[in-house]
Amino acid sequence: MKVRLGARGLTRRFGPVVANDHIDFAAAPATIHAIVGGNGAGKSTLMRILQGVDRPDEGDVILEDQAVRLSGPADAYRRGVGLVHQEFMLAPPLTLLENLILAREPMSRGLIDRRAALRAAQALAASAGVSLDWGLRVADAPVHVRQILEILRLIYRGADVLILDEPTAVLAPAQISELLALMRKLKSEGRTLLFVSHKLEEVLNIADAITVMRAGRVVMSTTPSQTSAEALAQAMVGEPVEMPVITARAPRGGVPILSARGLVGRDAQGGERLGPVDFEVFPGEIVGVAGVGGNGQEELVACAAGIAAPAGGSLVFAGAEMGGAPTAAFRAAGIGYVSADRAEEGLCQNASLSDNFLAGREADFARGGVLRRGVIAARARQALAALNVRYGRLSDSAATLSGGNQQRLVFARELDRAPKLLVASQPTRGVDIAGSAFIHKELAAFRDRGGAVLLISESLDEVLALSDRVLAIYNGRFAGQLPRGAATVETIGRLMLGRKAA
Amino acid sequence: MTLAPILTAAAPFALALAIGAAVLAATGHEPFSVYRLMVEEAFGGERRLAATLTAATPLLLTGLAAAVAFRAGVFNVGVEGCFYLGGLVAAVVGYQFGDWPAALLIPAGLMLALAVGAAWMALPGALRVRLGVDEVVTTLMLNFIAIGLTSWLVNGPLLARGSANSATPPIAASAELARLLPPTSLNAGFLISLALVIAYGFWGRLTVGGFRSRLVGLNARFSGAVGLAPGRVVFGAMIVSGAIGGLAGGIHALGLVHRFVAGFSPGYGFTGIAIALLARNSALGVALAAVLFGALTSAGANIQLFSDVPIEIVQILQGAVMIFAVAQFGLRRRSAA
Repeated sequence: MKVRLGARGLTRRFGPVVANDHIDFAAAPATIHAIVGGNGAGKSTLMRILQGVDRPDEGDVILEDQAVRLSGPADAYRRGVGLVHQEFMLAPPLTLLENLILAREPMSRGLIDRRAALRAAQALAASAGVSLDWGLRVADAPVHVRQILEILRLIYRGADVLILDEPTAVLAPAQISELLALMRKLKSEGRTLLFVSHKLEEVLNIADAITVMRAGRVVMSTTPSQTSAEALAQAMVGEPVEMPVITARAPRGGVPILSARGLVGRDAQGGERLGPVDFEVFPGEIVGVAGVGGNGQEELVACAAGIAAPAGGSLVFAGAEMGGAPTAAFRAAGIGYVSADRAEEGLCQNASLSDNFLAGREADFARGGVLRRGVIAARARQALAALNVRYGRLSDSAATLSGGNQQRLVFARELDRAPKLLVASQPTRGVDIAGSAFIHKELAAFRDRGGAVLLISESLDEVLALSDRVLAIYNGRFAGQLPRGAATVETIGRLMLGRKAA
Repeated sequence: MTLAPILTAAAPFALALAIGAAVLAATGHEPFSVYRLMVEEAFGGERRLAATLTAATPLLLTGLAAAVAFRAGVFNVGVEGCFYLGGLVAAVVGYQFGDWPAALLIPAGLMLALAVGAAWMALPGALRVRLGVDEVVTTLMLNFIAIGLTSWLVNGPLLARGSANSATPPIAASAELARLLPPTSLNAGFLISLALVIAYGFWGRLTVGGFRSRLVGLNARFSGAVGLAPGRVVFGAMIVSGAIGGLAGGIHALGLVHRFVAGFSPGYGFTGIAIALLARNSALGVALAAVLFGALTSAGANIQLFSDVPIEIVQILQGAVMIFAVAQFGLRRRSAA
């Protein structure tokens, strides 16, 4: 067998758009094959086809050297192909063990044989070189444990080809190396891994072969020894793109625009996830909050953007206490918000571009309660042009835009309000290199105009590239604060995991 | 491009007609001649048209009431109860204050009907917004309470003296809505209803309030994040929906029935749900669907007189349209998710 999983001339069209245009790739057995590409490169479509969720219009999926026609995900499973989703498919109220055996429970006399299940789980973990607390509820498990569980579950179900879709996006540096070690171990046992990512360092570090996609086509097939991060990045975007160098600015001091004292935040279930914390953001400053997901960032964002009322403490913006004020008051006072959840909270996918632009300001664009459509359209065009949003018509729905363009639309709306503070949560999540570079430049320009930015990102690179000051968050508290000059992946990485800075 | 939405909107009707044809054929009737007869009975001539529009009048408003709630994302199924309460209140005003001049009496009756409908939806609206209680359950249950309550009132305290039926006394002549085409029963209520549907169309497209309610219905979380108050919008939609439902009952009492009787509505509130779903909450859609359902009702009454087709065929058609409309709604929701 030469090819465990691959594609030959695979083509998939959606109306006039060719999402996959004659894709060829071949992953040999017991190798790690990386698929890299920016937004809209067609990776997701390819994954859906390989997993049997979608079918190609032309060409074939190759499994064990044979062209096959997958009838659905169950068929892919039977042939040993399993996918680890970006959003984990786990049942949070159940334990790790229960999630592992779900739908494949070892039975004895009509009952679940928990002892046999635990034995199987422990054997599985030992063979993968990890140790897990199998009695822990998934809801209480850290994100990297959930991810390991997802992988083990696929193996438990007999998968020997694992497709990992952006698996490191949610992990801290130390956890990433743990995951990469697990991937190597799985490979050494003869499993084949398809690693979808746009983190080039990781890809170069672990992959045996690399396929680069751009605009639905394979533009490069190579191996780590034959290429470099620069060459890969260039192949992904088609033209040389450099991430902008954003120079840190010395603290200006003066009066903070946002100041929190003893701020406490609760999650939707009422659990205290944040605080008490104290912090300030000054005008003309980007404050970056670095941390592994789930350490209180969501609650921090919700408090600062006025989405949820703090459970305690005070939050003063531009001299006025804001705690408990409605979201509208936050926005009226000059706080803009870029949500980490672009699909659900940042945009209204099934509303038009102009509606998305207008949302929240409709009263300002009305006379006597009647919307001034002409004024709105002109203003929206202008704002979208300023952010280089590429779109067809203003009446198109937001869902028709690519991920990067959607995020530009969000920035167009938020910046057009001329906020004093921008709360930006994961501003480049799911945005490709060119789009990320653009967004970083916009954030820096906003700062240089005197705006304040509270940046929350799980990408340490992003925090380090943008922030003038870095706060590391761990377990709902700030574990340390460093100016950009003193912040490195190592120092912040340690703080993020609750260890003291060396 | 513009044809596709019309075709999808008409699909539930087409499927229902196909099922009706199958039933007719199976029972030994000739489907096309029955359908032709129905079209003639619904739209052939001034009087028949007037009967159709009369039948469409309550449906215009119950469809509108449902649409107002649905567009904001609340599935209010309590319009039926509001219809009963509004009808009772308007009828009581209409006979209790019969000596008032019409210019005072009619607005008073209709306004009170509107107010009682609005008030009836305050509780489920508040429960939904404050505590997240599912409005489908509360409003459905409130229907039973409203129907039971009005039925008890017209069997007891408000029963017309000497009447064997469970009915209030008839309203004063000055409380009756003007007839538009005597001797047909088409009345001013139709114009009021149509005007409200048109006003809704403008409101929905052009105004701040219409924009907000649509946005909240599309994505409440997003709406909250940009500073709208989704709770307030949802509560407002429930109140307005109830108000229109109450007004529908009031117009039905003062315009057509001229009193309140037990069993006042043959399910107008529920037909309104199907109308709003078919119309996808658009004003034009509500108007068209209401007239179509009105046509089915008025034609159904007549074909039984002039042919051996049982009136149940109309109920089969109505039921089938509703099932397909709801199925289509579910499909749309699934493909959107």
